[in-house]
Amino acid sequence: MSFPDPIAVFRTEAAELLEQIEAGLLDLNHDLADKEQVDAVFRGLHTLKGSGAMFGFEALAAFTHHCETAFDQVRKGIVPATHDLVTAVLNATDHMRALIETPDGDHGAMSETLLGRLRTAVAAAGLPEAPAPAAAAPATAQDAPVAASGLTTYRIHFSLPVNAMANGTNPVGLLNELRDLGACTIRADRSRVPALDDLVATDLHVCWDIELATEAPRSAIEDVFIFVMDEMELSVEPVGAPEDARAAPAAAAPQAPAREEAIMPAPVASAPPVAATAAPRAAPAPLPEARQAKSAENVRVPAERLDELMDRVGELVIAQSRLSQLANASADLQLRAVSEDVERLSGELRDTMMVLRMVPVAQLFSRFRRLVHDLAIETGKKIELITEGETTEVDKSVVERLADPLVHLVRNSCDHGLETPEERLAQGKPAAGRIFLSARQQAGEVIITIKDDGRGISRDHVRAKAESSGLIAPNAALSDQELLQLIFQPGFSTAQQVTNLSGRGVGMDVVKRTIDALRGTINVVSHTGEGSEISLAIPLTLAIIDGLLVRVGSGRYVIPLSAVEECLELSIEEDMRSRGRSFISLRDSLVPFIRLRDLFMTGTKPDPFQKVVVISTGAERVGLVVDQIIGDHQTVIKGMSKLHHDVATFSGATILGDGGVALILDVGHLVTAGQQQEAQLRAAG
Amino acid sequence: MLTDTADSCRIRLPDTLTIRTIAPVRDDLLHALQNQDSVIIDIADDAEGDLSLLQLLESARIYAGTAGKSITLARPAGGRIADLLAASGFRDAMSANDAKFWFHQGDFQ
Repeated sequence: MSFPDPIAVFRTEAAELLEQIEAGLLDLNHDLADKEQVDAVFRGLHTLKGSGAMFGFEALAAFTHHCETAFDQVRKGIVPATHDLVTAVLNATDHMRALIETPDGDHGAMSETLLGRLRTAVAAAGLPEAPAPAAAAPATAQDAPVAASGLTTYRIHFSLPVNAMANGTNPVGLLNELRDLGACTIRADRSRVPALDDLVATDLHVCWDIELATEAPRSAIEDVFIFVMDEMELSVEPVGAPEDARAAPAAAAPQAPAREEAIMPAPVASAPPVAATAAPRAAPAPLPEARQAKSAENVRVPAERLDELMDRVGELVIAQSRLSQLANASADLQLRAVSEDVERLSGELRDTMMVLRMVPVAQLFSRFRRLVHDLAIETGKKIELITEGETTEVDKSVVERLADPLVHLVRNSCDHGLETPEERLAQGKPAAGRIFLSARQQAGEVIITIKDDGRGISRDHVRAKAESSGLIAPNAALSDQELLQLIFQPGFSTAQQVTNLSGRGVGMDVVKRTIDALRGTINVVSHTGEGSEISLAIPLTLAIIDGLLVRVGSGRYVIPLSAVEECLELSIEEDMRSRGRSFISLRDSLVPFIRLRDLFMTGTKPDPFQKVVVISTGAERVGLVVDQIIGDHQTVIKGMSKLHHDVATFSGATILGDGGVALILDVGHLVTAGQQQEAQLRAAG
Repeated sequence: MLTDTADSCRIRLPDTLTIRTIAPVRDDLLHALQNQDSVIIDIADDAEGDLSLLQLLESARIYAGTAGKSITLARPAGGRIADLLAASGFRDAMSANDAKFWFHQGDFQ
């Protein structure tokens, strides 16, 4: 069994920490008085610094230290949070990523520049004053009565989670912070340390008993543990009546060790109260259930292991399919029963596996808050991002591949869609433009919508540009959707000016290609003066789909079931009648159809009872004429070989129960082909 | 580094003994204790250590005690290791046996 590289684990966790810090900063930017976010950002910076130093990312630790110090001052109320300060730290988080990615790179100049901006922002926010000593912090109701001398003796017991050291917590640093609060006796409890053959050397089994005489309130003691509070045991209790404890601990005071630099100054009484504060040593108060569950229920698994497991499940589904075929051909009832059990179990396993691979789109959406924040600064526009449906779950590989297309779309909305504040006010709109980003599940698909309340897409500009580029003939008759879809053509851009953000005509066609590759569709709605809405409909998963297995000639093909609307019989008479026109009448509307036998040039005669499988992508429908519908088929998607990657009609292949191969039809491509065929026939009159 | 005699060995620990480097040290120490009756541990006074080192040696002492083996320090803990013992609360919690192991008795009463 291999263990993950600790540096790789740190990088993963640091990336998550930076996302949290960034989210906290963006929230804080909306409400500069939000103390919760100030604390969250401070905690994140502190943890990043500590774990960075532990894993040898010294430059990161040193750089982050300055940001942490700035936020410590904000936390203590010495410096107010300002937009400039938030922006300076946001920019610093980008640099932190670089320091994590290339720790040995030459980052000195950039570090200095960013720290200069940070210093300017802090200075502009208010000159720092001497931090208030912890003792001056107001006492809370939880504090023990204080003697005339002001000293209270507390008995403290704490144990950290076993993975605390591995996660970057330095217990000695915590002990030193307690020493900063007053004279104390610290006794390490080693009774939980296992014998060497049972020891995982990076786990922590030592806990501590401390007697601390301090003028600081109990909250200041709790504050020492603010970063590890979630999963630790802590009890803090005053010892009897307050006493002048100066003499006693002093007598027992340990020889002063060479102190390492304190990670941060003594905290003030601003930390949230701790559930376990007053619990006696013998029976520390249990952690709240949610906290226990949090540590017990989540397991970090490398993505490639999930992919590996998915492959195995795929192979199992194929093997099960073969078993079903054999069982159905056999008269052995016991074999059939076992086959049905295996089919049910493999189906359940597949469903479980699918859920394992699902991640909330919140991961995806969170990065757009930062993007929109930066775009607002770049464009001088006021932009508000509203997100909805962040808990909607999608296959992780889909989320990864959706990131770039969404960046293009959001950039386009900010750059071209939204007007300047002056233009908006002149039109009676609020000065701040709005971008809505939403996600929802709908029948095996996730629909992601990017909507803005800007100027909308100018049809005249689109048509003029398309005509001048030769994409369409002058005055070509196009439906509104067809016209709008032209913006996804390669090289198309209606932007009057090319900016850093968009307008180079690269991007929207990349969006289209990516969404096509995901077997998704794009729908555009736009109203002049009111804004635009682009909806992406993407399959929930790319690994296994339910398909409709059909036969065309002697070949078998899979049509994704989610695209199938209905199946009809195409009689010989109707086939003869429609020859040359290729339309069927479906509830008073004409639907074009494609004879797959002709398309695939099978060279075989059609079956007497051909079938039409009507498929759709959104509003567009097309019929596919096949010789036989074999039935539904759980389809494990295998990628096409490099030799076939440019064959647009197929999106992949699958292995059938009998070991044969079936190609999976690319629905989007076929619908487009059908619609083009219809347009040509209409144009021909 | 190992120096073996018939039934004892001396292990010179690396100069950096922190959580980043401690795992292989544990394996070496366990191997030595499994194969020898007596193990002497040599730690430089200026070795860089953290709590994981102290915990490792405590764990090795427990193992040696239950397996009937002997484990000792080549010299009394001094310098940074002595500071670490104090800073991490080990020193205030020492029994006579602990003091004998860490400071060869006499140094600490």
